[in-house]
Amino acid sequence: MGNFLQSLVGGIDPYLMQILVNIGIGIILAQGLNVIVGFAGQLSLGHAAFVSIGAFTSALLTIRTGLPFSLNVVASGAFAALVAVLIGFPILRLTGDYLAICTLGFAEIVKVFLLNFEPTNKALGLTIPGAHTDIPMPIYVLGLAILSILLVSSVNSSRFGRALKAIREDEIAAESMGIYATGYKVQAFALGSFLAGVGGALYAHFLGYINPSDFGFMKSVDILCMVVLGGLGSVPGTVIGAAVLASAPEFLRFMAQYRMLVYGALLVFLMVFRPNGLLGGVNMVAVLLKVLGKKPSGAALKKNREGRG
Amino acid sequence: MTFKKIGMVVLAAVLAAGVFGCKKKDEAKEGAPAASGNTIKIGFLGALTGDVAMFGGPSLQGMKMAAEEINAAGGVLGKKIEIAEADNRGDKQEGASITQKFISRDKVVAIIGDPTTGITKVAAPIAQKAGVVLLSGGSTGPGVVENGDFIYRDTLLDSVAIPACIGYFANTLKFRNVAVITSDNNDYSVGLSQTFRDAAKSVPEIKIVADEKVKDGDKDFSAQITNIKGKNPDVIFFSGYYTEGALIMKEARKQGMKAVMFGGDGLFSPKFIELGGPAVEGSMVALGFSPEQGSPETTKFVADFKKKYNEVPGVFAAQAYDSMLLLADAMKRANSTDPKVFKNELAKTKNFKGASGTITIRANREPIKSPLSLLMVKDGKFVLKSTVAVKME
Repeated sequence: MGNFLQSLVGGIDPYLMQILVNIGIGIILAQGLNVIVGFAGQLSLGHAAFVSIGAFTSALLTIRTGLPFSLNVVASGAFAALVAVLIGFPILRLTGDYLAICTLGFAEIVKVFLLNFEPTNKALGLTIPGAHTDIPMPIYVLGLAILSILLVSSVNSSRFGRALKAIREDEIAAESMGIYATGYKVQAFALGSFLAGVGGALYAHFLGYINPSDFGFMKSVDILCMVVLGGLGSVPGTVIGAAVLASAPEFLRFMAQYRMLVYGALLVFLMVFRPNGLLGGVNMVAVLLKVLGKKPSGAALKKNREGRG
Repeated sequence: MTFKKIGMVVLAAVLAAGVFGCKKKDEAKEGAPAASGNTIKIGFLGALTGDVAMFGGPSLQGMKMAAEEINAAGGVLGKKIEIAEADNRGDKQEGASITQKFISRDKVVAIIGDPTTGITKVAAPIAQKAGVVLLSGGSTGPGVVENGDFIYRDTLLDSVAIPACIGYFANTLKFRNVAVITSDNNDYSVGLSQTFRDAAKSVPEIKIVADEKVKDGDKDFSAQITNIKGKNPDVIFFSGYYTEGALIMKEARKQGMKAVMFGGDGLFSPKFIELGGPAVEGSMVALGFSPEQGSPETTKFVADFKKKYNEVPGVFAAQAYDSMLLLADAMKRANSTDPKVFKNELAKTKNFKGASGTITIRANREPIKSPLSLLMVKDGKFVLKSTVAVKME
C-alpha cells in the first residue's frame, strides 16, 4: 500500500505537488477558522496559536515516541482542541472586538511560552525527522483536506451548524430560543482548533523544521484572509480562498518583486467588488441547478437571497 | 451597477489569467532544459522582499557578479553559468516551494542559499533527497550540514569565530570578566550566547560574571544593567541585534558603566551607531568579512563590486560570491557538472582563497574560514580594529 502510494506521488511533478500540499494545508486551517468566524461569527485573531500547538505537539510525539502518524495527527488536533476548550470558556463570553483582542493576546502568550519552553528547544525550534508512516505526506495532506471539507460541510447543514448561525445572527434571540450560546461557541472553537492542530501537525512534518516565530500574528491574518476572501461561512468559498491565497505567491512569481504589490491590490479589489467574499452569499445548489439547465426551485432561490448561506 | 459588473469581470479575468497563465509558462519551461545543454543552472534561494531582504539582495548581487566573471572567462568546462532566481520573502513554506521548483522545473545542479538558517533547514532535506548541492552563504545555526552529503555552507561559523575572539580578548586585550546578555526570543541570539558560554569554559582567564536575558523589542534595560553593574564586567557580550544593543549601551552609560559591548554580526549596522551615539564608542563586532581585511582577493572583489553596483559590499555579497566560485572550482576539479560527482570535490575544498577569506571544508562538511575581522566603533564609524587568524585544520 505504502509503496504503491509512494510511486503514485513520485509520478507527479514535485513542484506541483508542493503547491497542492500548501493549498491542502491552507484548506484545513481555513476550514477550521471558517467554523469559528464564518459559522459562529466569533472573530478570532489567534488561529495560528492553535496551529503552533498542533505543530509542536506532533513534532514532540514524532521525536519522543513511536506513535503512528495517523494517531499523532489526531492527538495533536485533540490537544489543540483541549486547549481551546480551556481557554474558550472564559474568553468566549466576550464578543466582537473584545474577543478579537483576547484571542490575539492568547496567541502571543502561546508564542512566548514556546519561545521559553525547554522541550521545544526554545527559540531554536525543532527539526522533525520523517513521520512514522508509509503513506507519503502529500496523500495525507490532500486526504485530510478532503475530510476536513466533508466534516465542515456536514456541520454546516447540521443542527449544530444552524445553532451556530443563529448565534452569529443574533445571540440574544438564539438564547431565547433555547440555544445555549456559550456551550455552542466553545464547541465551535474546539472544532476549529482541532482542525488547526491537524493542519499544524501536517505543516510541521511537511516542512521538517518549525520555529515559534513561524506562527505569529501574520500567520493568523493569512488564514483569516483565506476565509474572508472565499466568503465567510461558505465551505466552497473557503476552499477557493485557501487555494487562491496559498498558490498566489507561486502563480504571481513571474512578476518578481511586484508580486506582493499585485497580491495586495487583488485583495483590495476583491473586497470592493465582492465584500462578502468570492462565494459569500452564493448558494452552490442553486448555481449547480442553473448550470445543469434546471430552473432553481423556489426554496433554493429563497435561500440564495438570505445571503451568507 | 455596471461599474460593479465590469469590476467583477476584470477580477475574474485576472484570477483566471493568473491560474492559466502560470500553467502555460510551466509547460514552456519543462521543454527548456534539453535545448540549453550548454548552460549550468544554479538557483538563488533568498528573500528579495520582506524583513530579511537585506540578506538576500546582496547575496544575489554577489552571485551575479561571480557568474559574470566566470562566464567572461569562458565559463565552467565550456558551459556558461545561468542563475535561476526567485524571492521567498523569508517564508519557510515558500522557501520549500522554490527549492522544489528549482529542482524539478529549472533543473538546477546546485542552489546557493538561503542566507538564513531557518529556510536553509527547510530546503536542505529537499535538496539532499533530490541529489542537488545546496551551498548556503549565511546560515550559522546548528543542524544544517547534518542533513546530508549534498549540503554545505561557506559561512564563518560562530563555533569557530567565538573561540578565536575569546582567545584574542584574553591574550591581547586582557579582558577578564564578561557579562552575557541574550535576547531570548531570538533564535540567533540564543544559539550565539550558548556558543559563547561553551567557548568561555575552555579559556581559564575569562569569567562570565553575569548572564542576563532581554527580549527583541524591549526598550527598557535598566533592571538588567543594574544587575550587571554590580558585577563590574570588562565587556558586555550581547548576542542580539543592533536596536537592543544600542539601547543597552545607552542604559549602561547612563548608569555610569565603562564596559564596552561585543557582539556578532547582528550588531553590525549603521543603525547601531545612529541609535547608540557616543554610548557605543569602543564597542566591537566580529564579522566573517570586512572590505578592509587586506587580502588581494578581497581588495579586488571590493573594487569590482563598487564599480558594478556603486556600493561597498557586505558579508552576504562576499559569501555568495565565494559560494559561486567554490562551486565552479569543484566542478572544474571534478571535471563534471553532475552534482553527485562534484559534491565530492566540494567536500575536499582546502585553503580556497575567496573574497571573504580562506575557506577549508572539514571532514564533517562544516567550513573553517580565516581571518576573522574585529570591527570597532570609532568616531561614529565602524573601523577595522584587527584581523584575528582562525586556526585551520
